[in-house]
Amino acid sequence: MTDFQGPLTSIGIDVGTTTSHAIVSRLQIETPPGDAASPAIVDREIVHRGEVRETPLVDSQTIDVDRVAAFVDRELTAAGVSPAEIDTGAVIVTGETARRENAEPLVHRLAADTGQFVAATAGAALEAVLAGRGSGAAARAAETGGTVANVDVGGGTTNIAIFDGSQTCDDGMGFDDVTVAETRCLDVGGRLVTVDDDGHVESVSPPARTIADALDLPVAVGSALDADVRDRLMSAMVDAIVDSCSGPPFDALTRSLSIGTLPDDQPALSGVVFSGGVGRLVRTPPKDPFEYGDLGGGLAAAIADHETVRSWSVFEPAEDIRATVVGAGTETTTLSGRTISLDESVLPLRNVPVAAVSGPVSDTEETFKQRFDAATAAILSHHDPGEVDAIALSIDDVGDLTYDRIRVIADALESALAPIPPTLPVVVVTRQNCAKVLGQTLRRTTDRSLLVLDELAVDGGDYLDVGEPTAGGESVPAVVKTLAFGE
Amino acid sequence: MTPDSNANATDPTDDRTDAETLRRVADRTPTRLDVGRAGPRPPTDALLEFREDHGLARDAVFSRVDDSLVDDLDLVTLRTRVADADQYLARPDLGRELAEESITRLHEECSETPGVQIVVSDGLSSTAVETSVPELLPVLKDGLAERDIDVGTPVFVEFGRVDVMDVIGEELAADCCVILIGERPGLRTAESLSAYFVYGPERGGPTAEKSVVSNIHDSGLPPVEAGAELVDLLANVLEQEASGIDLREDDREFETES
Ligand code: B12
Repeated sequence: MTDFQGPLTSIGIDVGTTTSHAIVSRLQIETPPGDAASPAIVDREIVHRGEVRETPLVDSQTIDVDRVAAFVDRELTAAGVSPAEIDTGAVIVTGETARRENAEPLVHRLAADTGQFVAATAGAALEAVLAGRGSGAAARAAETGGTVANVDVGGGTTNIAIFDGSQTCDDGMGFDDVTVAETRCLDVGGRLVTVDDDGHVESVSPPARTIADALDLPVAVGSALDADVRDRLMSAMVDAIVDSCSGPPFDALTRSLSIGTLPDDQPALSGVVFSGGVGRLVRTPPKDPFEYGDLGGGLAAAIADHETVRSWSVFEPAEDIRATVVGAGTETTTLSGRTISLDESVLPLRNVPVAAVSGPVSDTEETFKQRFDAATAAILSHHDPGEVDAIALSIDDVGDLTYDRIRVIADALESALAPIPPTLPVVVVTRQNCAKVLGQTLRRTTDRSLLVLDELAVDGGDYLDVGEPTAGGESVPAVVKTLAFGE
Repeated sequence: MTPDSNANATDPTDDRTDAETLRRVADRTPTRLDVGRAGPRPPTDALLEFREDHGLARDAVFSRVDDSLVDDLDLVTLRTRVADADQYLARPDLGRELAEESITRLHEECSETPGVQIVVSDGLSSTAVETSVPELLPVLKDGLAERDIDVGTPVFVEFGRVDVMDVIGEELAADCCVILIGERPGLRTAESLSAYFVYGPERGGPTAEKSVVSNIHDSGLPPVEAGAELVDLLANVLEQEASGIDLREDDREFETES
């Protein structure tokens, strides 16, 4: 038994619409004194801050995978770490890049190349959350107990994550998970229109076309971009960003530019942080709005100037253009509770699809069983057991932690797992601290390969990566993520 | 205001007159922070709350574990040399020794040479025993049985101290002994239980060679989970034939300044 808890070396890679970057960080793990406490990541130090590079493309639809892999290699060399030394981390494709045809193979390849336990991730909502964690908006919400929005304005998309700090508690070792109230994402960014050195329009992306059509603005490839047209285009974009932060109600244009569903309630924001390549310029817009050959500079200036934005409390970001990559590198890995029940031989596991078992805990034993059956049925209908490393069931609420209750759950699980091939590992996740007792109880009735993890919040539809034990073998690193390409 | 100019202006933690923030800070800890005062004394609410908590703590120390619970759990009842609750507090040494008739009873009713001898004791909180042991003990017994570890005949000791397990373990020649005992009521709860365990129990064995899992209660380490955790820990103790600091090789290297 050893308490040695060396830091984890973590990599973050972000392949975005305009730029790509990689960072290497060290995550310090500590277990607070007292037997009830679980290990946690208490400090995140960025040891290598990679260059901001232009995302290499083969053509407008295809990312140049080899060149991306080559620059990641160079960053690792510069950082002085080899892939073998990397314990954890995440690769994310963001913005419009996520919609490129080879986005999915790209992240899987990078994740596999860069380390034993580096997660492949995608999805606008996840991207929004990572940017907000990287920019410090989440920490700001936790510290002040307020509601803080992070508005990450990039080349192709704007991702807004709203953090609610009112429920966080300080466990004496830093602030506990701040709640993500919601995310709001839209197709607005600095690179929707690009302009050549002579001021002629070089490209117009579909969302820019939507805006131009809605406002009846003449924007055509090859012709000059009139200053008035440009200003109206940009002010429509800023209106959409502000509208998206403040609604409902939402303007028709905001709705057509939005990705995913729009929320039903207005947030009561106590502060706003801007991050991303464009967000970075909000504080210091460039003199020449076309400095970057696109709308970025002008858009940033228009945001800073917007009447509503001027009424907000705007906080400085801890990270701006690198907010997402810092979030990916330092904030994706969480640790499970300390008491876990493991079949270590199956680790690491990647991209494990999750089905949630949710519903009132007061249910009768029969209805309760049905919910477990429904969860396995759902997962088997979406995923071919031959194609995945494992499947996961996440139990929202176990109810009172009594031995009787644990036995009821173990029974329900056992029968629900029957249709799953006996060779396929199963991960059971609970939020409450009960993995060891549940694992021991289950093992009495089944000999399938089982992993029971606790103190992790995972939702149905998520994916889970689980690494090899750390913190003296008492906890495993896990990455909870989405893999929604081309949203 | 421009985004720039108010960048750092509205950090609520800077404002010491901000009642809302103070409230949130106070709510994040169970300590008696920001209770206010009425003249030189605490306000009535705070005083009543303190008295209530103190009452709970006293009850935990001075109440007895219900006999029916001991019966339900199928435990053999033993007594230490302590006569009553007051003497229990004044004479910890007597709480570490078994009364003469209890030693006889131990040999009459309990099987000898168990792998793990289980002892339950009121210690400083009967409340802890009553709330947690009924959940913890069955998990522990089932788990050890599954690993073919003989738990012998579990016993209950009234007015016990941690080291009474040394006597019981030595008398029965147990490989290992574990005591589930009520902790001194503290700030968070009066219901907290600990499990102390030792390999090769013998009278006078040093504390350093013992291990402990503490803070077992509903809002700490849940009793059922503690039971399962103890199964793993005790199996490890038997395998390594050691407990306490003997289990922790990493801590054994003391650095001396030369
Ligand atoms: C009181 C107390 C002490 C007193 C005990 C004096 C006494 N005669 O009662 C003193 C101050 C000496 C003490 C010392 C230590 N303690 Co202490 N102690 C406690 C406390 C507050 C209450 C214990 C209790 O209620 N016991 C029940 C009664 C009935 O037992 P008792 O028979 O009257 O007394 C015995 C036990 O208290 C035991 N004991 C007390 N602490 C420890 C620690 C360990 C590791 C062991 C094996 C036994 C042990 O020793 C006493 C004499 O036999 C607990 C907090 C808690 N939540 O439980 C921490 C606690 C048990 N102690 C702890 C620690 C770390 C220590 C020390 C190692 C500190 C240090 N670095 O030196 C030492 C070790 C002592 C040793 N000889 O090896 C930790 C254990 C953490 C863990 N899981 O390993 C606890 C849980 C506090 C915490 N949250 O960190 N402790």
